[in-house]
Amino acid sequence: MIVAALLMAMQVAIQDPRLDRLDPDTRAQVIAVVDSARQAGLPAEPLIQRALEGTTKAAPGARIVTAVRRLAADLGAARTALGNSASAPELEAGVAALRAGAPSQVLATLRSVRRSSLTMALSVLADLVASGVSADSAAAAVLALAPTARDADLVEFRRAVERDIALGAPPSAATSVRVNSGAFVNSMSSDPGPPTRPRRP
Amino acid sequence: MFEHEDDVIERVIQELRQPVGVDPALDARVMAAIAASSPSQRGVWPWLAAAAAVLVAVGVWQPWSRGSRAEASDTFQFVLVAPQASSVSLVGDFNDWDPARAPMRVAQGVWATAIRLTPGRYRYAFLVNGAEWRADPGAPSARDDEFGTPSSVVTVGGKGS
Repeated sequence: MIVAALLMAMQVAIQDPRLDRLDPDTRAQVIAVVDSARQAGLPAEPLIQRALEGTTKAAPGARIVTAVRRLAADLGAARTALGNSASAPELEAGVAALRAGAPSQVLATLRSVRRSSLTMALSVLADLVASGVSADSAAAAVLALAPTARDADLVEFRRAVERDIALGAPPSAATSVRVNSGAFVNSMSSDPGPPTRPRRP
Repeated sequence: MFEHEDDVIERVIQELRQPVGVDPALDARVMAAIAASSPSQRGVWPWLAAAAAVLVAVGVWQPWSRGSRAEASDTFQFVLVAPQASSVSLVGDFNDWDPARAPMRVAQGVWATAIRLTPGRYRYAFLVNGAEWRADPGAPSARDDEFGTPSSVVTVGGKGS
């Protein structure tokens, strides 16, 4: 009876009504990937969102399935690097960092040097690479800041580097200069408290 | 004549304090009656209770919803300058990529909306006039655009940030 109830619960989880937006063939394949990921202890929500993104963008079913499978595999790789205790947001950010070219060893090192959530640190690493910074420089910068910087400091660091790049600075040089300036470490002492106005991405 | 009130009370109390005489075989008869009842009648309720608990847990858990309601959230404002657009929607991981759920409001060509986000990394994009996908020029771009259209990324830090 308990087994039947658990199976029923699993079925409820699998029959996510949002996936009804996919065509039947694509839906069946996506459900199979999501189910496998769930059984492996990986978060299902990023996979569902990737499938929904694909269908909203009118992507072919085969491409959606490929994207979801690739993401499931990368979530597994991120968990291997970050450890079983990694949260779903950390795994998603870990995927972004790995896809940006960060070695898995960098993720493991970040885990050991930063006590708080790694989500922002990993995201900033990936975002810096998207801005043109080399993966090595981005990883070195985040590793240097991660032990003591707050999430808000990391976001401000990323914005400062992006501003410098927009003004013409070479991306990796802008990154190292900003890290060495120490401005983002010093800002830790003053806690700004919760934001009073909506933030910007 | 009449008995004094205090004496009556005292007599009642004494009576109530007397140990109740119970048949020594009562326990044995009760256990025998339980043992004689149908196993299926005795066994079904714990199983049903367990099944109900699982279903309630799934209902509370809602595996198809993202994040925990108890998690801290921040409000983020999204802005796109598009004077020529007739409609702009904000779609992303935070609203199931459903254009109908986040229409943006316009003022002098500037489209804007604000939404609350729980910690995580979210992909999103603007859908202009229901057909054209645009990334957010003020946000990091998502590098893995596997569907051939641009997307952006917003990250919300976790606790202890």
